[in-house]
Amino acid sequence: MSDLMRTYPIKKIVEHGPGVKSFYFERMLDARAGQFVNVWLPGMDEKPYSVSALGENWLEISVKAYGPFSTAMMDLKVGDRLGVRGPFGKSFTYHDRALLIGGGIGIAPLRLLAHELSAKKLSFVSLLGAATKHELIFIEDFQKWSKNCYITTDDGSQGKQGLVTEDLLSIIEKEKIEFIYAAGPEIMFVKVKELIDPLDIPYEFCMERYMKCGIGICGQCVLDDSGVRVCVEGPVFNQDELKEVTELGMVHRDASGRRVKKF
Amino acid sequence: MNSVRFLNLELKNPTVLASGILGLTASSMWRVVEVGGAGAVTTKSFNKDWRSGHKNPSILPFRHGLLNAVGLSNPGIDEMVKEIGKFKQRASAPIFASIFGRTIDEFAEVTQRTVEAEPDLLEVNVSCPNVHSEFGQPFGDSLSDTAKVTEIVKKHAGSIPVSIKLGPHGPGIARLAKVCEENGADAITAINTVGPGMLIDIDVRKPILSNKTGGVSGPAILPIAVKSVYEVYRQVKIPIIGTGGVTQPEDAVQLILAGASLIGIGTAVYYQGIKVFEKIARGIEAYLQKYGFTSLDEIRGLAHE
Repeated sequence: MSDLMRTYPIKKIVEHGPGVKSFYFERMLDARAGQFVNVWLPGMDEKPYSVSALGENWLEISVKAYGPFSTAMMDLKVGDRLGVRGPFGKSFTYHDRALLIGGGIGIAPLRLLAHELSAKKLSFVSLLGAATKHELIFIEDFQKWSKNCYITTDDGSQGKQGLVTEDLLSIIEKEKIEFIYAAGPEIMFVKVKELIDPLDIPYEFCMERYMKCGIGICGQCVLDDSGVRVCVEGPVFNQDELKEVTELGMVHRDASGRRVKKF
Repeated sequence: MNSVRFLNLELKNPTVLASGILGLTASSMWRVVEVGGAGAVTTKSFNKDWRSGHKNPSILPFRHGLLNAVGLSNPGIDEMVKEIGKFKQRASAPIFASIFGRTIDEFAEVTQRTVEAEPDLLEVNVSCPNVHSEFGQPFGDSLSDTAKVTEIVKKHAGSIPVSIKLGPHGPGIARLAKVCEENGADAITAINTVGPGMLIDIDVRKPILSNKTGGVSGPAILPIAVKSVYEVYRQVKIPIIGTGGVTQPEDAVQLILAGASLIGIGTAVYYQGIKVFEKIARGIEAYLQKYGFTSLDEIRGLAHE
């Protein structure tokens, strides 16, 4: 049973830049893009992470130093053991003529999606943004697999200076986009959603919420007002499912279950 | 046929969402009723002030159930009272408020505040096995403490019925149930999670739960729940919410034959999905039909005859 906790040694670490790393484990994982694993750092905590790459007998997760857990992850060495259980949740669905919009570490689940789409010979364009150059991960893969790859950074250190939303509508028109995938900060998605909702282009967004169990029982990641669980019915939601999510971009819940306004 | 009366309440079927599962928000509990088919819901246990609970890992599957030490995390009474209110506006099923306190005084205060939200029943959690290091021995491990908590909650509950949630530990669940009944409890919820237990990672060689130990739920504890309900039923006249290890209709029927009036379902959501309530309710009905019974009342406690 893949839900049972087991620890695996880190086989390889890739440093993308300061505070952004990918960790590689030898473990068979029957997963698809959008699904996640719960990662246990013994003595510290356990958190959900999207799978960023996958092979027959290995998987990779990508981590940005943000809170105490991900910051502690930065000190790990090859051979250190982490618990990896899963996969959990629902994956992206496959569509042709798609646009992949990724923000920051949200690029991670899209990396696996890009690989899957490319293996299925489905065409797509990528639009990737981050605060700065070293947070743009897997760019070479996206450039290799996408029909076109547009890049923005807040500080202009790579690609165009600005946000992914700035050229979004013109890219959709120019590239004749028929489906949109997004993953990244919720505030980014809220802006994307405002722009694309009037276009009637179907989309899927990969959401994040605090979780205790990952297996659909604790209730911490349940969304208002639809009552769906990010860990089971999500983390990938389509435009219809998101219509009933009133908390989008507004609040999420902390470990106590209190509503927190900040994103 | 499946609709049941319990105390002064009418439920569309005897299944109840057990406390601690999907009971944090009105939206979540609404979906358990609307999509899952539960006859009633129980909130996550809450007290006066918010608590983050234990760090993760806090909930772990093992081969025969779940081990959990969530540590009574909850957003505090202000938020929970709002969620109970929202649920009542949106859903038609009864809602049970699960409350706890660190002290007898806190039980009194939480009861007073919770009653304002008008839940259909107060379930009093005196048997959480996961907060020893912080709270000391659970109230439910002592006959006199259980009596005191029951008395104080009843004093402040007004017309809202009170069920005391007991574990299979301490001085014996039948004696505890008797004390609850003597002090005015309207019902007994039996049982809480069992243990505590522990799981160790054999490669890291450390306990996996951040709290090290946690309560056991799921299929592993069904026989303990059946026996506990059986013993409580012999000892008291007040009705029993039988909870523990139910994942199939046959499990629920065992608890009813032992003496349960309602069936709490929690961990089964992990095994069977959210529609487990409807599945088990239908299965109970099929059992009644198979043997020509016309109501649950006819089979309740039948294993005692």
